[in-house]
Amino acid sequence: MNAAIRLPVEQVYAAELQALARGDDRQKPAGWSLSPRAVLTYLMGGKAGDGTAISPKYVGRRQLMETAVATLATDRALLLLGVPGTAKSWVSEHLAGAIMGNSTLIVQCTAGTDENQIRYGWNYAQLLAKGPSHDALVPTPLYRAMQEGKLCRLEELTRMGSDVQDTLITVLSEKMMPVPELNTSIYAQRGFNIIATANNRDKGVNELSSALKRRFNVVVLPLPEDMNEEVSIVSRRVGEMAGGLDLPVPKNVGEEIARVLTIFRELRSGATADGKVTLKTPSGSLSTAEAIATMVSGLSQAAWFDGGKLHAEGLAPSLVGAIVKDPVQDKVVLEEYLETVLKKRPDYAGYYAALNAAI
Amino acid sequence: MAQGGISYFGIRHHGPGSCESLVKALQELQPVAVLIEGPVDASPLLPLLASSDMKPPVALLCYPEDDPAATSFWPFAEFSPEYQAALWAAANNARLRFIDLPSAARLAGPGPEGSMEADSGGAEATELRAEEVARIQDPIGTLARAAGYEDGESWWSDIIEQNPEPGPIFAAIADAMTTLRDGETSIGRFEAMREAHMRLEIAAARKEFDGPLAVVCGAWHVPALRAAHTQKSDQALLKGIGRRKTMMTYAPWTGPRLALGHGYGAGVVAPGWCKHLWQTRGRRDASVFWLARIATVLRAKGHMISTASLIEAERLAQALAAIRERPKPGFEELRDASIAALFNGEALLWKMVEAELLLGADVGEIPPDTPLAPLIDDLQRNQKAARLKPEALERELSIDLRSESGLFRSTLLHRLNVLGVSWGTLTDVGRSRGTFRERWMLAWQPEYAVRLVENLIHGPTIEKAANGRLIQMIGAAATLDALATLVQSAITAALSEASTAGLAALEEKAAHSSECLELVDSVPPLADIIRYGEARKTETERLAGLLERLIVEGSIALPYAARDLDAQAAAALTGALRKADEAIKLVEPTQDILDAWRAGLAAVLESSRSTALVAGCAAHLLYEAGRLSADATADLLAKRLSPGTQVLDAAAFFEGFFSGAGQRLIYDEYLRGAVDAWLASLDEEAFVAHLPLLRRVFSNLDSMERRRLIEAVLGKRASLPAGLTPTPDGGEAWRRHFGLLRGLIAGEPSHG
Repeated sequence: MNAAIRLPVEQVYAAELQALARGDDRQKPAGWSLSPRAVLTYLMGGKAGDGTAISPKYVGRRQLMETAVATLATDRALLLLGVPGTAKSWVSEHLAGAIMGNSTLIVQCTAGTDENQIRYGWNYAQLLAKGPSHDALVPTPLYRAMQEGKLCRLEELTRMGSDVQDTLITVLSEKMMPVPELNTSIYAQRGFNIIATANNRDKGVNELSSALKRRFNVVVLPLPEDMNEEVSIVSRRVGEMAGGLDLPVPKNVGEEIARVLTIFRELRSGATADGKVTLKTPSGSLSTAEAIATMVSGLSQAAWFDGGKLHAEGLAPSLVGAIVKDPVQDKVVLEEYLETVLKKRPDYAGYYAALNAAI
Repeated sequence: MAQGGISYFGIRHHGPGSCESLVKALQELQPVAVLIEGPVDASPLLPLLASSDMKPPVALLCYPEDDPAATSFWPFAEFSPEYQAALWAAANNARLRFIDLPSAARLAGPGPEGSMEADSGGAEATELRAEEVARIQDPIGTLARAAGYEDGESWWSDIIEQNPEPGPIFAAIADAMTTLRDGETSIGRFEAMREAHMRLEIAAARKEFDGPLAVVCGAWHVPALRAAHTQKSDQALLKGIGRRKTMMTYAPWTGPRLALGHGYGAGVVAPGWCKHLWQTRGRRDASVFWLARIATVLRAKGHMISTASLIEAERLAQALAAIRERPKPGFEELRDASIAALFNGEALLWKMVEAELLLGADVGEIPPDTPLAPLIDDLQRNQKAARLKPEALERELSIDLRSESGLFRSTLLHRLNVLGVSWGTLTDVGRSRGTFRERWMLAWQPEYAVRLVENLIHGPTIEKAANGRLIQMIGAAATLDALATLVQSAITAALSEASTAGLAALEEKAAHSSECLELVDSVPPLADIIRYGEARKTETERLAGLLERLIVEGSIALPYAARDLDAQAAAALTGALRKADEAIKLVEPTQDILDAWRAGLAAVLESSRSTALVAGCAAHLLYEAGRLSADATADLLAKRLSPGTQVLDAAAFFEGFFSGAGQRLIYDEYLRGAVDAWLASLDEEAFVAHLPLLRRVFSNLDSMERRRLIEAVLGKRASLPAGLTPTPDGGEAWRRHFGLLRGLIAGEPSHG
């Protein structure tokens, strides 16, 4: 038995992929194992040709997935943008798994990623013994994907330095990678493409150069549009994380999640839930992930210091931390929100007082 | 499709796709007469539509002679099949007729989409009817939505792609409509009357003309017009239709107004897109033109869009069309592709350019010989009602706003001013409704008539046009205070639509503005509106809420805005603060709001980074409001004016406190005491150093005031001018007096 914590999606969903492939008589782009329509069915859920049920992998607008699949079908690179927790990597993995049957050619980009991890590295023992040669060359996932005509995934593209990012320009526009040391080049085989993901709200990342950005089609994955959907995502994750940290979960956690999420969603969208009052938005992203973090730190505070009771006072410091990222602008935004909106809501009186005290 | 030499062309109103097919079909058929769905009594005006001076978008207006507000519109765009049919007929010497009910019948009826059936009532019924109306007005759009298209035109062009002959497409549409209308039990009486009328007119034309006839009507009507009905039953249906006398003319129209659903028929969802389709009809590279237009708009907004990106967008659109199994990229494909390839995935950016792209900014033109314009007509009627004659010579007019006729005159003059027709100018500018009397200077200039005609695009009556124009100005207003002033003029001119729109815009802007000066500046005009609130009650409530919000937002932003200002900015903020404080006191908001405002002022006073002039002003306002006690004020003055403070800062603080309040020193013993104590405490050197700033403050007082101040300081006089001795129970006496006065004013019979 395989004891891996998590297997790549093409193995987990092998049955669905096989069923789709069996009933797929549409035209396939070179190197694809499924037709674009079938890939779309795989992502959005539905029925395979032989009636096998396909579970939805992405819950959200279909047009976005259509654009993503169509982009890859035109051999243009795809960039998935979004704030953390909007299923960017998830979509990227499923796309690679469904299109190529292989989602493991992946480069995790960090501030420490250098060109050798993008293009190719050297086996220094070989290099010293024999000089530059194909044998001394250590291929990267990108290199392999080009050689084999596969999809390469680049995670968190903007975390990597701009100079390293720009090595991708030649690869994307000319579909080749020069190896000047050997006076040769690697030519990408049909089917090769890149799916990159990046965070569009983080500060302190390396903005893509416009030359590189131009070579991607960009799909922005939005935050959940529906309040109930988001509440259920947060409740589930908070439950899981609290379990992992051995924190007891008080009974009122559901109500507090709904209140915190209402505050998050109102500030994020720049309008109250009833749409009657427009608001300023703070500079932070206020993503679902941050709501989860806020709740978990509130639970931790409750468990260790407040005798297991979860209340506004415990949540306020981390709420302020999530909302006020810029000490001047965001503070005004929050003050205004408190005075014009929360003050008038009796069931938020605790939050009004606690947040006012915490600012 | 052809039946007894009559060809029925079921078109989509304002559909460029059906327009293109129609022109081809007419060219093939060469009919001797073209019958168009439109008010039969406007037929004489039809040739004018085809005149070369007529530049669409234009609209045919029909209104009852005595009530232009009830105008019906028949807009025509360049891509309207009706317009192209008229052009074709004029060019090919075919006769042209409108065949629908006369406009009078429509005016008498409940409106174009209403039915004359007894109202069944209930929200559900209304909803059902809305859907029904959509189906009747745009059945092709309904079919397209059923097929999963957002845009009816893309559906139409895909259908054409599969049926390249123009003839069969109309037959196919007629079949589809027959299926849609199959099993229809009853249609609204009004619709039935229209169809009966069209049948009769077609039959009459059949008798009159020899040769093929073309009927151009909404696709929905084709099955009913082809069906056999006896003339007798049709005539019976039409018995007793309205015969009010109506006036008819053309008016220039605009792209955005084409998109509105009001008036006749369905509005066009996206006139800009339709125009593009019409202008690039028959071209294989039409989608590239659309992408290039998107790029042009984006570039004008300062975004860098390269030609290479356009190529990629086009390729992506093609791939999307393939995935969606459509023959070629339509509106949705091009939109999604440009979001991904040109907008970096930002759907918001699309929203920014959407209006400009889809609505367009076209303005139509009408030939100079078009019959009378309804606005001039309306003005003449209003002049008669107001008993005001246009005279070129200047004449003064004093209006009493308490009388109905006075209010009517004032409203008319205010509205004309909104339209840029300054027939009357207010001589006592300022608060126009502060008193019940307005003084106007009247002078009529001939060019005002021209200006009125230009305003036709905003509406057919003075009221509607003024509303429309103000709404446009509100849309363009950039700052909060400008908006507040516009709302004030909307309410003064009794323009409710514009004031509603203005309030909404104001709310929106108030939320996003953090410019303190703007927020504070917008308080006085709004406060004025509330105080002289002739606005309707709901609006006043909304305004009051908005005003409170502005005050709170202004107070929160104030401490930050007061930091590190240069002299000019500080003076502007101080002036705005004084005016706003005045206004806030007069409006009497709830204690909460008042507290918030004063907390903002207090924060300015406390912060060491606040500009001295503003801090001084805040201190004075707080002192006036009783939030600073006399002792505390004396301490504060002493502290802020102490020798450790830079002379410039001290001077600014002193100026901020006393500018416009120098008189206060004459009457306010405490304050005078504080200043006196401070002055007395200065040693000679410091006193001489402070002299310039004292001079600056006291130079604001006139000579009489200065003398009083000297007398007060030297103790020669009571602190109040002679004759103004306060009585100990002055309050009580005044209340009694006031009670009596109130009785007198209200006209109660006196009891004494």
